Amino acid sequence: MEQAIVVEQLVKRYGKLTAVDGISFAVPRGTIFGLLGRNGAGKTTTLECCIGIGQPASGSVRVLGLDPTRPRDLARLRPRIGVQLQTTSLPEKANVREVLELYAAYYGIRTQPQAMAARVGLDGKLDRQVGQMSGGEQQRLALALALQHDPEVLFLDEPSAGMDAFGRRILFAEVERLRAAGKTIVLTTHYIEEAERLSDRICMIQRGRIVAQATAAELVAQFGGDATVSIVADGFAPAALDGLGTWTQTGGQWNLATRGEPGLALAAIVTQANAMGAKIASLDLHRPTLEDAFVAITGETLAETE
Amino acid sequence: MTLLRMFAVQTKMHFVWYFRRDGEMMFWTLAMPVFFLVLFSFAFSDGPNARSSSFLVPGIIGAQVLSSGFWGIGVMLATFREKHLLRRVYLTPMPPWVFFASLVTYRIALLATQAIILIAAGGLIFHVRITGNPLEILAILVLGTATFVSLGTIIGALARTTESANNIASVLTVPLAFLSDAYVPIDRFPHAVAATLRLLPSTQFIDTFRDVAIGGAALSHYGAWLAVLGLWTFAGMAISARTFRWV
Repeated sequence: MEQAIVVEQLVKRYGKLTAVDGISFAVPRGTIFGLLGRNGAGKTTTLECCIGIGQPASGSVRVLGLDPTRPRDLARLRPRIGVQLQTTSLPEKANVREVLELYAAYYGIRTQPQAMAARVGLDGKLDRQVGQMSGGEQQRLALALALQHDPEVLFLDEPSAGMDAFGRRILFAEVERLRAAGKTIVLTTHYIEEAERLSDRICMIQRGRIVAQATAAELVAQFGGDATVSIVADGFAPAALDGLGTWTQTGGQWNLATRGEPGLALAAIVTQANAMGAKIASLDLHRPTLEDAFVAITGETLAETE
Repeated sequence: MTLLRMFAVQTKMHFVWYFRRDGEMMFWTLAMPVFFLVLFSFAFSDGPNARSSSFLVPGIIGAQVLSSGFWGIGVMLATFREKHLLRRVYLTPMPPWVFFASLVTYRIALLATQAIILIAAGGLIFHVRITGNPLEILAILVLGTATFVSLGTIIGALARTTESANNIASVLTVPLAFLSDAYVPIDRFPHAVAATLRLLPSTQFIDTFRDVAIGGAALSHYGAWLAVLGLWTFAGMAISARTFRWV
């Protein structure tokens, strides 16, 4: 498969801080690649190196076969990529129509402000000035600026930051539309749900290094651990259920790390409880999630003080 | 064609966003210079007369050229960088020089408006007569604007924040307005002080402009100063080009 982006042994330093420490990955054309990690892990720096912001200390980057560190290549690359930055601050007095018109001029395209605004949920707000828009609306306008010229590759840096549920729905729908149109997307996020839902492949980054890279399903299967079943039932004991997996007890609750298919374990447990005349107060099944995989891999949770 | 469209739309947006929708900016640009003209015309003479006003009209225009370069270009660029606006523009196919050219064009349009208003107000209220050769007047204004845009760009290149750019611009603009023969005739200072102040590019520009516009002097008499202004322009461009960062 043809690669849209190839990053090899990328290193980027800010003074003494090594923000990106030997990252390598490849993104096939037409796929969506999610960089997942906590704030400060190096996601944004990696993305910036792909779009020609800042010179890497070492390593190489190719986007559509072009080297963004070389001015000539970068000039040829710019019309073919679309970027939504985390910190896009557009002039306060600019309105939606004018910003779309200006960016259309940058890319030498005709603009259809009405249609474009509608696409990012800003219909009827063409005359709204940036200074009067919510953070989420500004993010959606920034998204429109990344989309308007129909680029081949999109770089979205924390695209949903500051967006409400409506904004996220628009964003997710737009990413699906881009996927269907065969676009290549690199997005950074510190939201598990966003990474899992949008990306074909997920690359987990911790302290400037890649700690895992695969599809969400593979990551969960490999690192998520066993499905667990927990039961609270008076008079219940897992005697003769050792074959299902490993049992532990916390307080009045029995926990089973299942070995086989958790549905079969559930059935066996319910049968046993009924046979023992135990009254089930609660019975929970927890299948491993991408978050479990992330915790297992990094030893950290993604949730931060927000 | 594409470049021309980028340039035209960008220049228009500068004008709409930073001038037409900014009442404070409109006031400072259009009303303040005339207010200064009237105020200083009275303050520095026994009564309003053509002599003091004839000094002030080119002086205030010259001071506006300085502040356009230092504030309108220098501080603006630092603000654009701090707000990550330059970074965003850098990611588009628009060549950086088009963005810069449109900013300068927008400021020149404002300067031209200010100059017309000041000349009109000076003529109508104080009977100030512009007697110089229009082409020569235009030539020295273009050179002076180039000089202070070029020097202002150094502020935009070296200042890391809007705040420090603001401080640098204030430290330069306010004293220079009073030490460069703009508002106050430096002839009133001791001879050695005046001679020293005539080494400043701001003084050389404003004096040349005044002598050509009001005194009817020929621009060719100021060859040495014009050459020095050219050198400042060149130096400013060279330093800016080496140090300016878009991101």
